[in-house]
Amino acid sequence: MKTDLSPRMKVALYGLMCVLLIPFVFPTWWMLTSSVKPISDIFAFPPDLWPRRFDFTTYARVFELQPFARQYWNSAYIAALVTIGTMIVSSMAGYAFARIKFPFSNAIFMIVLLGLLIPSEVTIVPLFQMFLKWGMINTHWPLILVPIFGAPSVFATFVMRQFFIALPGELEEAARVDGLGRFKIFWLIALPLAKPALGAVAIFTFLHSWNLYLEPIVFLSSTQMFTLPQALTQFTDAYGGAMWNIQLAAATMTAIPVLLVFIVAQKQFVEGLAHTGLKG
Amino acid sequence: MAPVTLKSITKSYGTTPVLHGIDIDIADGEFVVLVGPSGCGKSTLLRMIAGLETITGGDISIGSRVVNDLEPKDRDIAMVFQNYALYPHMTVAANMGFSLEHRGASKAEISERVNWAADILGLRPLLDRYPRQLSGGQRQRVAMGRAIVRNPQVFLFDEPLSNLDAKLRVVMRGEIKGLHQRLGVTTVYVTHDQVEAMTMADKIVVMNGGRVEQVGAPLDLYDRPANLFVAGFIGSPAMNTLGGRITPDGFVAAGATLPLPPGLTPAANAVYGIRPEHLSLADTGIPAIVKLVEPMGSETQVTMTVGEHTVIGVFRERLKAKPGETVHLRPDLEALHLFDAATGGRLN
Repeated sequence: MKTDLSPRMKVALYGLMCVLLIPFVFPTWWMLTSSVKPISDIFAFPPDLWPRRFDFTTYARVFELQPFARQYWNSAYIAALVTIGTMIVSSMAGYAFARIKFPFSNAIFMIVLLGLLIPSEVTIVPLFQMFLKWGMINTHWPLILVPIFGAPSVFATFVMRQFFIALPGELEEAARVDGLGRFKIFWLIALPLAKPALGAVAIFTFLHSWNLYLEPIVFLSSTQMFTLPQALTQFTDAYGGAMWNIQLAAATMTAIPVLLVFIVAQKQFVEGLAHTGLKG
Repeated sequence: MAPVTLKSITKSYGTTPVLHGIDIDIADGEFVVLVGPSGCGKSTLLRMIAGLETITGGDISIGSRVVNDLEPKDRDIAMVFQNYALYPHMTVAANMGFSLEHRGASKAEISERVNWAADILGLRPLLDRYPRQLSGGQRQRVAMGRAIVRNPQVFLFDEPLSNLDAKLRVVMRGEIKGLHQRLGVTTVYVTHDQVEAMTMADKIVVMNGGRVEQVGAPLDLYDRPANLFVAGFIGSPAMNTLGGRITPDGFVAAGATLPLPPGLTPAANAVYGIRPEHLSLADTGIPAIVKLVEPMGSETQVTMTVGEHTVIGVFRERLKAKPGETVHLRPDLEALHLFDAATGGRLN
């Protein structure tokens, strides 16, 4: 967008943007700098924006105090499976709701959407009882299955449906004339064109799974099975006090994939939401 | 190549009928244009031939097979869509070879057929491009290439030129016609543009309100329209039509009396139809007041008032008359059309 602001206005605008940025950037800055401070420096007053002393041993201590590599792997593979599963389920469901005429499709879609209104805290106890019956407590199955068939997938289905609704009908008709059946039209024509929406779905599903906290603390009990958000709460001393510098070092390592995903895929994310008409 | 027969075709959406018993015979290798105003049912009929719409009643045959219940892929047809419908994520070559690929053709065969079609349509340099990298005319050509590559029995075109600018439309019109002459495949072409219909068709089917008004060769329709609707639809500028009555002294319209050929039966409620180019200027004749003069170079189009009617004349000579002046018109009685005002049917 071309703007005709005067240099003075530009300076004022950028100044304002910098000020507004502070609340967003400060927590990350605080986490990064505190992760390399001795614990006594973290609570110094006035606070130090730049560490007086650097202590990088905190990062090594993370791996000594917890099976952190294993927990990292747990989070990574669970998030990967949830992302792939949600992309499969939501793209197929979204396509069906958008392009296949069947009785009460809109009513059924509305009922599915209503699922978003139910907070996960409400369903956690019945889910616990269900997975207990299935012998899946202290396994990763609940953390994989609940998001794939739960609220994140419902939202992803909504995003995919909005995208497929906008797909020109002539493309499908051309594919029918070319000899394709319904599934091949979905697989070979609609899905490749849905890459931006799929990208957006992948990003927010991955982040949702990566940051999941309530479900792991309900379903998992052994440290070997923990995921990262749950593991972060475990860095305490003998008296139960938080080991802030080590915890923040672990938090920094936990945040790296999230930041990478955003930096690499932010354009894809915005495009995906723009294609689905969700962008403001 | 195959003939296409439509027998008593009806179509309803719920309780609303949109096609009321269509009968059309399309000969093997014929180029038939379905033409009519928006909403007349021509695209619906084409989509029913393609298998993209279900048939409420009647039979559609391609060759010797009734295809009512066959999927589009089993009808051996190829269709060119209004918006081209090229797959955006595939190159031109992949778009053209896509249907062959899904019918189990070998890579060598696909490549041979795609190159053959690309040579015919001048698409060779574009084979590795994506649709977004092509102009409107190039996309149209690719859409045609995708259709011809499979060597189908019937080509179906659904207003394929409507997204192109006027100049390109003329060029592509010639290309489609040339392609038909070269390949000789039975073609059904839908348009609302009567110029396209006149210039391209072996046979025109004029449709209106879900019914066939007239079927015939372009010049037959032009010279002897069966009714007022066809008379008004075919030809540009449209035929002049003046309501009035047939009397022994001539045709009496509001504020004017027009000459008639001898021997006509008097009628109280008739329409006098004369095409703009069948009016000529004379020293004596029907007085007309000039309203607008539009010099086109090769001819001059003049809008005039005859009695209470507005009449358009197209003259080869360069007219110097100015708005407000009176000229005299002489209609070519050999080319006169008379219609019943109540039924719209032809009287002469």
